[in-house]
Amino acid sequence: MITCKQLQKHYGKKEILTDVSFQIDEPKIIGLIGRNGVGKSTLLKIIAGHAKASKGYIEVVGQKPFQNLTVAANVIFIEDAMTFPAVLTLKEILESAKKFYAKFATDLAFKLLKFSNISEKNYHTQLSKGQKATFNLIYGIASRSAITLLDEPMNGMDEAIRNDMYRVILKDFIAYPRVIIISSHYLNEMEQLIEDILLLHKGKVALFAPVEEVQELAVKLVGQKGNVEPALDKYEVLATYENGPIFEAIVRKNDLPLPENVRMLSLSASDVCQVLTATEGGSIDDIYRKSEYGAEYL
Amino acid sequence: MNFNGQNTAPIYIQIAEWIENEILADRLLPDGKVYSQYQLAEIFNINPATAGKGLTILVEKEILYKKRGLGMFVVTDAKHRILTTRRSETLTKMAKEIVQESKRLGVLDEDLIKLIKHIQKEG
Repeated sequence: MITCKQLQKHYGKKEILTDVSFQIDEPKIIGLIGRNGVGKSTLLKIIAGHAKASKGYIEVVGQKPFQNLTVAANVIFIEDAMTFPAVLTLKEILESAKKFYAKFATDLAFKLLKFSNISEKNYHTQLSKGQKATFNLIYGIASRSAITLLDEPMNGMDEAIRNDMYRVILKDFIAYPRVIIISSHYLNEMEQLIEDILLLHKGKVALFAPVEEVQELAVKLVGQKGNVEPALDKYEVLATYENGPIFEAIVRKNDLPLPENVRMLSLSASDVCQVLTATEGGSIDDIYRKSEYGAEYL
Repeated sequence: MNFNGQNTAPIYIQIAEWIENEILADRLLPDGKVYSQYQLAEIFNINPATAGKGLTILVEKEILYKKRGLGMFVVTDAKHRILTTRRSETLTKMAKEIVQESKRLGVLDEDLIKLIKHIQKEG
């Protein structure tokens, strides 16, 4: 359904994507994860055919997506900046949606809108940030597009509505399986919802694997420095943190027996992704320790 | 960066444990049908693939069996199997903790064994 090979995108001299390759060929929910500015939105725009790759190969539903009508009919791209005709009410927007998306579930969209306490008499421009995001997401899910791209769909929503909307995505996916790619900063909230994680880092795909596999890549060793540190040469160390008397090391999981007086804790997939994409400048604690702003006891 | 200290098992393992607990509580009966991965997905608000993995490990452990086109069912002596593995796993884990704590406190091996025998007599 989606194939990317060595995809590149630069805006002028600024390189965003340098080498993106992956393939999705069955319906599943995928979390697109990465630090700010890594090119998540750019990648989604290229898949949706809204932007053109600078180099490399991309195929979506068997076609090159850029300004392609078949792709446009099978793909929906939901983002903050989405606009609808200013003269239409939400009711009119939903009623006309079937013209663009043949499988649009108009009835479902109206019910979800009502559930979310958004009046169908509103115009899109009148909505608050959270309401806009909610309406856009409802529109995206109701479209039942074979490929549904959601770029930070929960931005601006309060926690209660976010939880409701995660459930909407799950239930509609079970009823109508399709490819759903969700980019989000709320990976810890989404971990249960998604099947695979597509992690972008430094313009490339750092990881594309089932959530459980990502979670089991690394573990945390906790204990006193004197106990943890000597054991570390047996592990691939991804990060270490020292906080008063507690010493923690994030290491790649292996089957060796645990050193004495060291506890091993499992990590969430979100933790693992954070470690894998950490900035090289150390931690916030290091900055405080080294700067004049640091309190003396540090 | 801060991580919370809680030690969470992967969700598919939690799902497998939940089904085992349902079997132990006789809410899922021998040769009875088990929830499908989609039912589990809706009950626990999780991805159906994750729920499927929970079912798969129970098939591998011979707690559940598959009937083609009909779904998953509970193996006749599933309850017995679960109890056996849990007993050995839980006991080993507790024994390890006792041995570690004894070391920390400087308790001699023979004193530890004496203590266990004493408790057994009392019990």
